[in-house]
Amino acid sequence: MTAAAQHPNITLYTCSEVESVGGYIGNFEVAIKKRAKYVDYTKCTGCGLCETKCPTKKVTSEFDEGMGQRTAIYKAFTNAVPSKPVIDKNSCKKLIDGKCGVCAKVCPTGAINYEDQDEVITEKFGAIVMATGFDLIDWGKYYGEYGGGAIPDVVSGIQFERLVNASGPTGGKIKRPSDGEIPNTVVFVKCVGSRDVQKGKSYCSRACCMYTAKHAHQVLEKVKGSDVYVFYMDVRTPGKMYDEFYMRTREEDGAKYIRGQVSKIFQDGNKIVVRGEDTLVGQSVEVVADMVVLETAMVPRLDATQLAQTIGFSYDKDGWFSEAHPKLRPVETNTGGVFLAGCCQGPKDVPDTVAQASAAAVKVLGMFAKDQLAANPQIASVNEATCVGCLLCKPICPYKAIEGKEISERAHGETLTRTVANVNSALCQGCGACTAECRSGSINLKGFTNQQLLAEVDAACL
Amino acid sequence: MKKIGVFLCWCGSNIGGVVDIPKVAEATRTLPGVAVVEENKYTCSEPGQVAMIQAIKEHNLDAVVVASCSPRMHLPTFQKAAQQAGVNPYMVEMANIREHCSWVHASEPERATQKAMELVRKAVAKVAKLEPLFESYIPVTKRALVVGGGIAGIQAALDIADAGHQVVLVEKESTIGGRMAQLDKTFPTLDCGT
Repeated sequence: MTAAAQHPNITLYTCSEVESVGGYIGNFEVAIKKRAKYVDYTKCTGCGLCETKCPTKKVTSEFDEGMGQRTAIYKAFTNAVPSKPVIDKNSCKKLIDGKCGVCAKVCPTGAINYEDQDEVITEKFGAIVMATGFDLIDWGKYYGEYGGGAIPDVVSGIQFERLVNASGPTGGKIKRPSDGEIPNTVVFVKCVGSRDVQKGKSYCSRACCMYTAKHAHQVLEKVKGSDVYVFYMDVRTPGKMYDEFYMRTREEDGAKYIRGQVSKIFQDGNKIVVRGEDTLVGQSVEVVADMVVLETAMVPRLDATQLAQTIGFSYDKDGWFSEAHPKLRPVETNTGGVFLAGCCQGPKDVPDTVAQASAAAVKVLGMFAKDQLAANPQIASVNEATCVGCLLCKPICPYKAIEGKEISERAHGETLTRTVANVNSALCQGCGACTAECRSGSINLKGFTNQQLLAEVDAACL
Repeated sequence: MKKIGVFLCWCGSNIGGVVDIPKVAEATRTLPGVAVVEENKYTCSEPGQVAMIQAIKEHNLDAVVVASCSPRMHLPTFQKAAQQAGVNPYMVEMANIREHCSWVHASEPERATQKAMELVRKAVAKVAKLEPLFESYIPVTKRALVVGGGIAGIQAALDIADAGHQVVLVEKESTIGGRMAQLDKTFPTLDCGT
């Protein structure tokens, strides 16, 4: 993280989002919205005095997945990069009703600026790498039988990560959220939302089998004499040292794996009852636990599909960004100059994410090794003589490659001006949508003209 | 009229095991404009490409049909070979007699052979109408945008930056690190997330 922030060739914009993208491969114009931080980073030294003095101390921490609290002016976590705070405008008293201003008073460098505004900047880029990651399924919405989120000691895997993390809200001690007690019996439930066509997602989230083994190992290592049960459908461990890791969790650490799904989880006094089945012995089982961890499905970021539409590339039925070819072009999109890295393309673990990110970087560098790029000539072209300028082709174009243009022509001794469709040859990807939309047959795809395709039809119908 | 060469691929037994390639070749020879028809065990292989280049030169061909796999697989391969032999790469057409034919109709070899003939006939009719196309060139701004500052974005940004190019890393949150920063230890080595 710090390597990226300190790299002389990397400019970091945090609290920022892509607002719009124009242009085309090699020549994108991107508008980036930089949200107000209310802290001037050219003055802030990151001393942290503002955080210690902020009177609003009980804001739920997003970074700790609701397991901890933060102040209104805050750094997301100790090692945040940049190591400087921002003000959350929704919880800062000064920004809500003007009654506070403590941070500005205590700041030794005068870095606090309550008047800070969002700013939109436009910059030119040759290539775009999408690395927007994933979210986790909102399991409470779909799994009422697991308590629907109402049982405090039924947590998600990412919440468990914060509980077991040395820089987390419990300092790395595994404690029950309800009463802070150390749990002796912990149940892990895998595939919550994954491989569940009815209620969740049809796909496997790929990383959960391994991190569940890690979670089980962590409980057994940190809580001496504890019992760990893992309910699973299958155990999938394809990777170097993966199966060995999993077997160690079972055989050396003593995690008890039960093959079967969980039908119900409910509170019983101080305990949580997990009811499920063991399909290997053909019996229903019940485990009385102190804490339950649900290993939930990875899902695309909430705004991923909207972002894909803004930039102009495709995504699949689940909302993951689509690669140009599943085997041969795994880090490219169908839009020239836009590449994919990590989980925005689909669930994957850390090693695969890093490998894919480096692959995407190589694709970018391959592009940058050239001074100019050859553009595929199989693109749409307009017959201006017959185009009536209805521009039905414009909204149908997924690459925003068609605009109207005015042309002048002489007819009957007069100069007439009329509108015709105009294809931006750099933006057009040759999909042919416009040719199907054109009522007068005035747009043709070079290499796939109406005449050429009809010759094929004739030959096929011989 | 254009002089068209048709190259039929066995793809080992992938196509040849189902489709009767010699029969397809025989039917193809009668099509208008077809100057030469050749068969090859693997047209994409080096010997296959060399044979194609020789045939193009020998028969002074204007256009080429390769009946083999999906164009997503090997169109660039055959375009390059055609170009080496002096034919415009956009004068190459493929008839997909593997994915669209031998694979999906494996249990009906006779009808698959019939369909292969039709697919080849269709491709020949199309290349007869093709015109040479020429690539245009566009400049490149050697500056990259990485959207998302998790481990994927950080890795991609570092690799591009290390190669000497400017990178802008845009992150929605107030810190980079993403999901990875939330994790304690990561498998299989159990080292830290940050």
